[in-house]
Amino acid sequence: MPVVELNLNRIKKLVSGSTTKKKIIDVLPFLGLDIESQNGDEIRIEYSPNRPDYSTEFGIALGLQGLLGIKKGIQKTTIKKKGQSTIKVDSSVTKIRPYVTGVLAKNGTLDSDDIQQLMWMQEDLHDGIGRKRKKSSIGLHDADKISFPLTYTTTSRDHKFVPLNNNAEQTINEILSKTEQGQNYGWVLENTKNVPIILDSEKNTISFPPIINSVLTTVTTKTKNILVEVTGIDKDSVEDALSIVISTLQMAGFEFEELKISGNKNSTPQLKSRAISYDTKFTSQILGVEMSSSNMVACLKKCRLDATINNKKIKCIIPRYRFDIFGPMDLVEEIALGYGIENLEPKLSPSKTIGKKNNVTIKTSLITKTAVGLGLLEVFNSSLTSKKILYELTKRNSSEMISVLDSKSQEHTILRDSLLSGLLENLSKNIHESYPQKLFETGVVFSKGKPIRESINLAVIISHKDTNFSEIKSILQSILRTQFKIDCKTKASSQNQELFVKGKYADIYVDDKKIGEIGEICTEILDNFRIRTSVVGFEINLSGLIFE
Amino acid sequence: MSQVLHDIEKKIIDSLQKKSEQTPEQLSESTELSIDQVRRGIEWLRLKEFANVIESSKVTVSLGRNGIDSLKNGLPERKLMDLIKDGSKSFEEVRKTLSGAGFNAAIANAKKNGWVNIEKTDSGSTISTKEKPVETPEEKLISLIGDKSIPEEKIENKLALKFLLQRPDYVLQNTEKSKIISLTERASQIDTTLSDIGAIDVEADAALVYAARTHPLKDTIDEIREIFVKLGFSEIQGNLTQSSFWNFDALFTPQDHPARELQDTFYIENLKSQNQASSTQIKQVSKSHSQNWHYDWKLSESQKMVLRTHTTCVTIKYLAEQKPDEARIFSLGRVFRNEKVSYKHLVEFNQIEGIVIGNNTTLRDLMGIQKEFYKQLGLTKIKFWPTFFPYTEPSLQTMVYNEKLGKWIELFGMGIFRPEVTKPLGIDKPVLAWGGGIERIAMLKYELDDVREFYNNNLNWLRTV
Repeated sequence: MPVVELNLNRIKKLVSGSTTKKKIIDVLPFLGLDIESQNGDEIRIEYSPNRPDYSTEFGIALGLQGLLGIKKGIQKTTIKKKGQSTIKVDSSVTKIRPYVTGVLAKNGTLDSDDIQQLMWMQEDLHDGIGRKRKKSSIGLHDADKISFPLTYTTTSRDHKFVPLNNNAEQTINEILSKTEQGQNYGWVLENTKNVPIILDSEKNTISFPPIINSVLTTVTTKTKNILVEVTGIDKDSVEDALSIVISTLQMAGFEFEELKISGNKNSTPQLKSRAISYDTKFTSQILGVEMSSSNMVACLKKCRLDATINNKKIKCIIPRYRFDIFGPMDLVEEIALGYGIENLEPKLSPSKTIGKKNNVTIKTSLITKTAVGLGLLEVFNSSLTSKKILYELTKRNSSEMISVLDSKSQEHTILRDSLLSGLLENLSKNIHESYPQKLFETGVVFSKGKPIRESINLAVIISHKDTNFSEIKSILQSILRTQFKIDCKTKASSQNQELFVKGKYADIYVDDKKIGEIGEICTEILDNFRIRTSVVGFEINLSGLIFE
Repeated sequence: MSQVLHDIEKKIIDSLQKKSEQTPEQLSESTELSIDQVRRGIEWLRLKEFANVIESSKVTVSLGRNGIDSLKNGLPERKLMDLIKDGSKSFEEVRKTLSGAGFNAAIANAKKNGWVNIEKTDSGSTISTKEKPVETPEEKLISLIGDKSIPEEKIENKLALKFLLQRPDYVLQNTEKSKIISLTERASQIDTTLSDIGAIDVEADAALVYAARTHPLKDTIDEIREIFVKLGFSEIQGNLTQSSFWNFDALFTPQDHPARELQDTFYIENLKSQNQASSTQIKQVSKSHSQNWHYDWKLSESQKMVLRTHTTCVTIKYLAEQKPDEARIFSLGRVFRNEKVSYKHLVEFNQIEGIVIGNNTTLRDLMGIQKEFYKQLGLTKIKFWPTFFPYTEPSLQTMVYNEKLGKWIELFGMGIFRPEVTKPLGIDKPVLAWGGGIERIAMLKYELDDVREFYNNNLNWLRTV
């Protein structure tokens, strides 16, 4: 979950109505925001990835105004159409990064905290909806340093300019290999020879999307007018990002002027709100609360939406930046938030169905009961284990090994095909505990087969100085006879098994079907696990034996 | 008396009943037990409150090296008197026989005793007998001590002892600690001659044994499963390995969603699902993604095999196949996340998820089920907060107040499956889902602050928790 840091005094000022810090703290969770930590007036908040409009103090203040009843209804944005500034798109970008959009934000002022908030917003938008800048990326520039019109085009990798936070010219190749941004996001451009570039009318480089801006247009506390540009590979996605930036900058006190965009596949963004209509009944059907139409409208307005009622239908107006809303169900949630989750009374309706456990659960728990009755202690191991434990220390055949990709943990890379290895590992970790040690585990094991076969195994292991084959065979027979009345046979195996002592292991059969193996564990294997006491064990397949 | 006594204990009691206060050494003598046996027996009796042990210390004196020499040959002053008994002698002559410190001591003490005359001449001093030397108190004391060690308190002439102690290495003082053993009132009435054949020491500690038992986490899983069953839910099961189709696509998670990346999800190497879903299901899901998320949905992405990241894939598959009109279903089992293992994160943990499908089932009903579930677990202070899950809308999370931690903690989540999830799979009724991780609840129950303990299989913990 992305995190935003905010200051209560600044939030209170942005909310700009009569409220208290305590009220703000109390209401935040009901916007769906989790307070991760609080240190005086500084709070860290986790917000849901579907609400990138909550990536700044500005966006959160906008939401708070609604729930606190200070400002309700849609945030109206005016974009002056008279603007003469344009971006022309060269067709060479089509196959690399086809779309660009943008706006001019005018007559605002930013302090250093505001700039910090905008930078965090950019990072969150890049990581989230921008899919690490591949799908969309944003550039904010001091518009007064730019000579319009702009051109969005491509350039070769030896093109030079001074990138942000630098004082010397660098080529594209140098930027990609030397700057942090180049190293982190260069992969987005790895399959192209030329790269996207935004140039102004005097051929100054403004931006090298999606990597880095030019130092020329750095936004500072002196900046009054901002050029917002968003480039990307999906038109909706770049306009989504633009809409969030506009809503945020509006809360920060900016006005907007249209930036005309023309060229292959591109057009000036409209950023229109949209309408969704649905039956008012749907809300009460989902929430279980009888609510008047006017109340629904009021609830939606508290969530910074607009709505009207017409002939038992509710028509909801959704601003461009709320692209998380897909349909009526999302609006029902908005109504619930406006109504207040705390006002929804839980209701316990009797169940019309009778609950039942799964057969596998029932049968497995019978096995567990018998095992405990026989003095065995239950253990739990991971089904995702390591090659070392599963195959190397036990000298088992690893030709059918099933691996996962890119595990963050060395100990969890292979899906287990046996439980016994894990039990040996358990003994190994407990050699300082008192003996006898008698353990069992039931759990899923994996094997290859269209594409993966899963079955449930039972393994038992016993360790003390006088244990032997007979002791473990008694346990095996008893487990299968109790409850299940299954008789099993142990037949000397013709296969060479390095896990067991030669001459002291067998295959386990029920009705001529092999279900597992049993034996005394070989000293060499015990040495591998640093176990200094005799160990016997067996493992059988329960799937197909006591359940399907 | 149920107390069974060891032979050693009986012998000691016997002896103490005859003579009430004895040292261990005396007991060793009277019982003919070795001193070690006696010491052990005394300790047992003391623990059983049959014996009192009083520790005391006693000072004894014995002769040192010079004292032993004097016992045999007389004190230096006596030796001097022997030398000059036949006439006066010069210091030179005397010194030859009484060398070193002995000479000075002899002259000084003989003078002090008034035994000698000393004349100084030009050729040196001479010494002669003045008076017949009688036996001194110090000499008497040396003879009294002899080769024994006697208690200091028994020496009457304290002054003589003081003088001897001032002279080097004549008399040694030793402090001896000793124990005096006596019987408690209870023990003085024990008849040690009574037979106790067949009786055992029922009060002694016995060896520890550990009960075999089910895993503590299994107990919590079973408890939670029982509550679901009680609330009318039936259990379904599914595989831990799933196609991306059921784990993600069917749940409306776009194919470029960060949750689907290698760094969050375990993908299985080189294995693809072939018949993960029907062609209609694939077509409809693909359409839902393209229309709502605006991208080209790829079949090959949906075929990638993953370790399920939630049990919801089992539920949604069941719903898509069975399309029940009315049901309460749950699935419980392990789920996986590609995380760094820490005190709060595991790569593999247990999750339970229940769904309610039916007419007239509302969010309030789902909240009611939650409330009852927590009540059954003994958690009564709960509240609901809005939250976000990719495949439910509206979505809520339960906050439960933990008295011990003194704060609200997040437990199960819930919500209504998005129409974008249900419609493409032909499910036309609202599906209410709820669930969460089981280890979190088990951690509260067992007061653990490190979730890894459940899978460490530390026998000491498993045997005693």
